[in-house]
Amino acid sequence: MTSLDDARALLAEFPVVDGHNDLPWALREQVRYDLAARDIAGDQSAHLHTDIPRLRAGGVGAQFWSVYVRADQPDPVPATLEQIDCVRRLLERHPRDLAPALTAADMEAARAEGRIASLMGAEGGHSIGDSLGVLRGLYDLGVRYLTLTHNHNVAWADSATDEPGVGGLSAFGREVVREMNRLGMLVDLSHVAATTMRDALDATSAPVIFSHSSARAVCDHPRNIPDDVLERLPANGGVAMVTFVPKFVLQAAVDWTAAADENMRAHGFHHLDTTAEGMKVHRAFEETHPRPVATVSTVADHLDHMREVAGIDHLGIGGDYDGTAFTPDGLGDVSAYPNLIAELLDRGWSRPDLAKLTWQNAVRVLGAAEDVSRDLRASRAPSHATLASLDG
Amino acid sequence: MADLQDDLHSAAEVGRVDDPLPEEAVVVGPEDYEPVSDPDDTPLTRARAVLAAHPVADGYSGLPAALRRLPWYDLDLGESAVDADVPRLRKGQVGAVFWSLHLPGGPGGDGAVGATLEQLDLAKAVVAAHEQGLRPARTAGEVADARNCGRVAVLFGPAGAAALGDSLSVLRSLHTLGLRVLTLAGTSWAGAAGLTRFGEEVVREMNRVGIVPDLSHASTPTIRRVLTLSKAPVLFTRSAARALRPHPANLPDDLLAEVGRAKGLCLVPLTAEQAGPGVRDVADHLDHVRSLAGPECVGLSGTYDTGSAHPQELHDTSCYPRLIAELLRRGWEESDVALLTWGNVQRVLRGADFAAHTAQQRRPPSTATITALDG
Repeated sequence: MTSLDDARALLAEFPVVDGHNDLPWALREQVRYDLAARDIAGDQSAHLHTDIPRLRAGGVGAQFWSVYVRADQPDPVPATLEQIDCVRRLLERHPRDLAPALTAADMEAARAEGRIASLMGAEGGHSIGDSLGVLRGLYDLGVRYLTLTHNHNVAWADSATDEPGVGGLSAFGREVVREMNRLGMLVDLSHVAATTMRDALDATSAPVIFSHSSARAVCDHPRNIPDDVLERLPANGGVAMVTFVPKFVLQAAVDWTAAADENMRAHGFHHLDTTAEGMKVHRAFEETHPRPVATVSTVADHLDHMREVAGIDHLGIGGDYDGTAFTPDGLGDVSAYPNLIAELLDRGWSRPDLAKLTWQNAVRVLGAAEDVSRDLRASRAPSHATLASLDG
Repeated sequence: MADLQDDLHSAAEVGRVDDPLPEEAVVVGPEDYEPVSDPDDTPLTRARAVLAAHPVADGYSGLPAALRRLPWYDLDLGESAVDADVPRLRKGQVGAVFWSLHLPGGPGGDGAVGATLEQLDLAKAVVAAHEQGLRPARTAGEVADARNCGRVAVLFGPAGAAALGDSLSVLRSLHTLGLRVLTLAGTSWAGAAGLTRFGEEVVREMNRVGIVPDLSHASTPTIRRVLTLSKAPVLFTRSAARALRPHPANLPDDLLAEVGRAKGLCLVPLTAEQAGPGVRDVADHLDHVRSLAGPECVGLSGTYDTGSAHPQELHDTSCYPRLIAELLRRGWEESDVALLTWGNVQRVLRGADFAAHTAQQRRPPSTATITALDG
């Protein structure tokens, strides 16, 4: 047996829980939510990183679907509801493959049935419109994590890729974290500034996640997690889900991306544009400036480091498929997770360790958040604090 | 299920073959009605007896917005700052109430979706904090369950049309969160000129998910179009008779007759502005609407906690028995009172669920957008 066969056998038993997939955003941008025009029951490799046959081939057992909307949207709240509606419609269309999941128990039930547990995560505090009432509405609609910021600061939390604002979390930001704890919604610290990570770890009473972030010590990009934060995960119980995005994991790619982004802006596109026209401009740049290539090994280097610092119980995977224009060699789409597992087997990771990485840690964290929520709901009423009342 | 709408099958036959609806769904005709009061008792005693069996389903309450203004309140023990609290709802023999999610500052444009989510969240929190008295309900069955458990059923809605943010996805999300009634007025697609193409698609999608259209304060062209378009019965959550009192939200006689033909439901507001200054004025409106639209198409809308002045003797939610006594004094059949207070609202809720079940067999969720349909 090759290590790839071993990897597949392992994933059959302990499939991947992936922390972040932007299929809903891709469906919005490419086909205005016309799900028939991108029927994921069949091969969509010409347009998407994700479809059901490739999720199956990749050994994916649970997916947090991102219900991301851009922060510069005139009103992000209804746009987020549209993304949630998209996921719900996907689940209705593919009931034999995708199982709606709200809890750790739902995830285990889906695994037992051989379906892909489908959860939702909202990417950025802008999606709650500075309102704990809206936060609860998102929870009631099935959202199980909120990334506190996206690429820009919100009024109550600093982003990794923006200038310092409130210096981490404001008083209202801490109240958002506490209310998420009460609800049982996971606090996602991908995209946030290191100051926000530390403030959130101080404020939370439940394990946190990083839905798609790698190690800053391996590649110095603000989207990655510094070691002092990784070191706090054992005490917190949370999980850092390694991401594959080349421009975050490979230093040469970080530098190349800075130049490529400048080129996109020079052509009048948003630097994260993934439309056909935007991609064309990107490709033209790439022809004249060969793109540094990340590989499976690059990602495995991050995992080796994160394991050393945070420990095996605090690792996971968050590919960011359909949310990134480029992918590492060998990790081109959602069918590729076995390649990563095979690489780790070759590096001597044991089967029990890999089961934690792929499945057990993430399920444990959601279950732990539910336990904290049960306790808090018994002792605390919903918070009606407002941004104005706490931050003045 | 579609068999039920097929003339080839009599209702009895359908009931015998597979009885797809609960028994209560069959409209009880006057001949089947069993009186619950003693005709020799005083009207007020009789009213209490009828209401004990057929409590008030109140079509409009502004309580969520009213509570928002209060720093502290206790609905269980009694709250004098509002018109409705649990003791007075019980005294008034209210069995169900629709809590409005209309926004205090008017329809609103940007931000209306988030503000509606907040209002809905607050309403849910209030219900959850008063579980001895109140219980959330989404369907006719849940309303009946709440009543059987001695709780006042709270239904969420109407919300204003602006709450959709011009998006059918938002409509579906609000339905998932519990919204059951939407007022079709105050947006580009449901304005003075009537429904646009997107507006019509909104109504079809409301039918598909089971949100009841509310046409109080809608324009006449919108009312006429929805009455013919909607596959489920419509509500007028706050409309009296314009022949008796010239208020823009009151319905002229020709529309009342159309509401009767479409088996919609006109809920008469207990406000001085729309119905008149006394309990007899309200009864006059109920008489008028009943005679034009029919006893199956008239109901009650307290419209408490909205800032409106109420008729003398009907100043808060404890006063319904006085109104029912007046109707009995006027010779209303008990069966008609039972429809007025409870039966008609239940029929509309069942109709919405039934239409939704049927439509979901035939139509996928609509992905139409306002730009695609209205340009």
